[in-house]
Amino acid sequence: MSKISRRRFLAGSLAGCAAVMAAPTSKALASGNLAGFPDGMGVLVDLTRCVGCRSCEAACNKEQKLPAPDQPFDDYSVFDQTFHHGTQKRRPTEKAYTVVNRYESKQSDKPVYRKIQCNHCNEPACLTSCFVGAYTKTKEGAVIYNSKVCVGCRNCMIACPFHVPAYSYSSATDPVVKKCIFCYDTRVKHGKPPACVEICPTQALVFGKRAELLKIARERIERHPGKYQDEIYGEKEVGGTSWLYLSGVPFEDVGFDTTLQKEPIINNVKDFLATVPMVLAIWPALFTGFHLLSTKGKSHGDEDQHAEQHEGGEQ
Amino acid sequence: MKHLAKEGIRPLEASQKTNGKKWNLIEKLFLGLTLDQYVSQFIRNKFNWLLGIIFVIGIPVIIYRFIFGLGAVTHASYDYPWGLFLGFGLFCMVPLSASGFMLGTAVEIFGRHDFEPIERLALLNGLLGYLFAVVYLLVDLGQPWRLGYPMFYSFGPAAVLFLVGWHVATYLSVQVAEVSTSFFEWIGWPRAKQFIRKGAVGLTVSGIILSTLHQGALGALFVYAPGKIHPLWYSAPFQWLHFFVSSIPGGLCMVIAVSTVVIKTMSWRCDERFIKNLDKLTISLGKGASMGLITYLVIKLIAVAHENEWVYLTTGWGAWWLLEIFVGVVLPLFLFAYGIHHKRVGLVRLAAFVTIAGIVLNRLNTALITFNWKLYQEVPHVFEVIISITIFAIYIATYRFILNRLPILYAWKAQPVDATAKESVAVGSTLDQEQELPAGA
Amino acid sequence: MIRNTSWHIKGVLLLAGCLLLALPAFAMDVPESVEIDILADLYQGVEFDHQMHIDLAQDCSTCHHHTTGTGTVDLYCARCHNTFEEQATVACQDCHLADPFSAEAIQAKGETNLFHVDVYGLKGAYHRNCMGCHEKMDGPTGCQDCHARTEAGDAFYHSGKYAPPIATQADHEE
Repeated sequence: MSKISRRRFLAGSLAGCAAVMAAPTSKALASGNLAGFPDGMGVLVDLTRCVGCRSCEAACNKEQKLPAPDQPFDDYSVFDQTFHHGTQKRRPTEKAYTVVNRYESKQSDKPVYRKIQCNHCNEPACLTSCFVGAYTKTKEGAVIYNSKVCVGCRNCMIACPFHVPAYSYSSATDPVVKKCIFCYDTRVKHGKPPACVEICPTQALVFGKRAELLKIARERIERHPGKYQDEIYGEKEVGGTSWLYLSGVPFEDVGFDTTLQKEPIINNVKDFLATVPMVLAIWPALFTGFHLLSTKGKSHGDEDQHAEQHEGGEQ
Repeated sequence: MKHLAKEGIRPLEASQKTNGKKWNLIEKLFLGLTLDQYVSQFIRNKFNWLLGIIFVIGIPVIIYRFIFGLGAVTHASYDYPWGLFLGFGLFCMVPLSASGFMLGTAVEIFGRHDFEPIERLALLNGLLGYLFAVVYLLVDLGQPWRLGYPMFYSFGPAAVLFLVGWHVATYLSVQVAEVSTSFFEWIGWPRAKQFIRKGAVGLTVSGIILSTLHQGALGALFVYAPGKIHPLWYSAPFQWLHFFVSSIPGGLCMVIAVSTVVIKTMSWRCDERFIKNLDKLTISLGKGASMGLITYLVIKLIAVAHENEWVYLTTGWGAWWLLEIFVGVVLPLFLFAYGIHHKRVGLVRLAAFVTIAGIVLNRLNTALITFNWKLYQEVPHVFEVIISITIFAIYIATYRFILNRLPILYAWKAQPVDATAKESVAVGSTLDQEQELPAGA
Repeated sequence: MIRNTSWHIKGVLLLAGCLLLALPAFAMDVPESVEIDILADLYQGVEFDHQMHIDLAQDCSTCHHHTTGTGTVDLYCARCHNTFEEQATVACQDCHLADPFSAEAIQAKGETNLFHVDVYGLKGAYHRNCMGCHEKMDGPTGCQDCHARTEAGDAFYHSGKYAPPIATQADHEE
């Protein structure tokens, strides 16, 4: 007979299992269905129209009440700025939710400009990696962030395939993530376009329903063969993004990552998350079985000598 | 303490003094020495000088971090959010702390009570490793005072980190319970100890479940960033298995390493049972570690084959990967094989230290070095290094504090072994039901 | 014969002749210059020299598509707009909305019986139409070449007297 009576064993195992079950199992998102936001809005960015005036940066700065920039917004020498020993151009920071960069391409006589900001993905990696649920994808399509619950683990920055979220490391008391929120609180929630779209003088940015924008983008490609690359960046990348791009030159020339997977990032972890409840269910019986199989009739060590002395008579 | 041993003074190892009176808590804390004796042995110990220097430099830097924020002490950037605190403090310390569930399983589940002399050390190693991983986390978090949020305030259950948080918190409770038996012996609460022991199997099974999942989950965290980690260190379907399987030799080798340090620097605290069995147990642990290592090697190769990444081995990063595999896996395998076969404990110990270095290298490679391999390389700030070393020093100091006092390396007795008393100790003290017979009785 | 006609008839004939010459002017009220300031806020209104552009472009449809009755230069448009009728809507703002992203405008994009869904708003139309030609003909392409900034504009762009101090403008190289 085992040194532990059946009653005591059950009590102990149940206590242990209860402790484990109290930890909520992770639910894999019911993703894969990208039609989840039929009325989701989006923005179509036509890089053949952008002239690099940086009015969008200025509009964002004003709308989101960001600190004053280091350079005026009509200072175009910023396009020559590089970082990390010339390997990087400007990127969104805690003080600038969007930036415009200038690129040279062999396929264009004129420089090409690109506006960078959060792409408001359909299945955002930041949202799925956040363990306090600080991110929300609203039905209008905006991916917004709640700084009141953010613990600062910065997993979202690891997960974002576009390297978008910035963090206010300079603050010791309230460091939070800083990124474009699609002007949700002040505009998109009320059906108005974000500030950058409204200010753009050449209408390089078009605001509308994502589904409609895809149609418009395809029409533009069809209507002007040779003017555009036959691809809408953001249509499928990491499950599709709300901000879509058309370009006249190859997307790699303009700094886009064209190696991204087409499925949402969360698909990578779904298999592991599905394993979790299996382990929770199988391990108890498996290891209890091992225990019973390997310890029957054997000595029970020094820890429980007292117990053995008491139960030595029971067989 | 060797100095004191020469004077015939034995460290505290029982609940009663030689004159029959009970030790009180303060006396227990001071190892049964007088204040003079304690302070003079403390100062004589040169290791304390090293710790002192580290603390004098490091603790102000830690305070500086909390006053001026992460930006002041790290090179954390928008592209590189994680640095040494998580890369070393969390991702390295957790697999090395897998010893708890490994030895607990061996003893409680599989009934291998021959491992008992080293079981408590392994459990303590696990507890302290996880505890200090959480300390490193608290230093790294932007708002550490909100650490409890995912537990009871705001849930993000789809996130792998959510699982890690809950499991580590639960597992810490399990480990505290498992180590508490030695604490209850030491403090003199035998009924509390019995209560815990009743649930030992349940606790151990919970420990296995939780460890499997969160060791794997730490690997799954990196699967959120497919393009950012070099393909040789990344595997979408197998990352969690790589991390879980490598934690097995990690935990076992850490026990070998710590027991080596212990036997060489504080053998006065180890009882005969521990000293006599250590070599044999070290070799047994080595067997377990080498089985884990060969399995790990195979699944790493399977992952490379699965994604057909062989061509990467011809690149610079590939050479680095081959170095990590050779130094961290292949070399220890040979050392273990030879050492186990020829019963050379020294070789087995060497293999254990090399394995630990290999696991540390693997985690640092995944989290820091090959992270963002397509971008510029980021180098940790010197303050990050100082803080990491300081917290590790606090970990060692805490480890030693507990090992000096609690019956981890020695068995607790009701009465001290008195060289003049030939009889075995009296049985029947009403409060101490557990009678640990003196060695040899 | 003219000398023998009475001066009444000469006068009427002269008047009729002038009227004939003035006919085109009555048919269309072509302004010499246009004040484009409907969207003026960050920039001042534009003093648009219409007459100069008429002389340069010669063909009204270069800017006004097909609305002036002179036909259209774009073969794609001519598939539908193939009459030489003058439209009631000639000015840009008659078709290009000042607020192209209003709820109604976005709703209209979903209309399946509407051909022109991808239409520029007024601001985009101005800039696209003007700058397209200016780039080809070496016209002004800078923002302030056509319209000077207002005080509000200077503040908006953090430029001019609202520019940040020079110390923070140092080139950024980490």
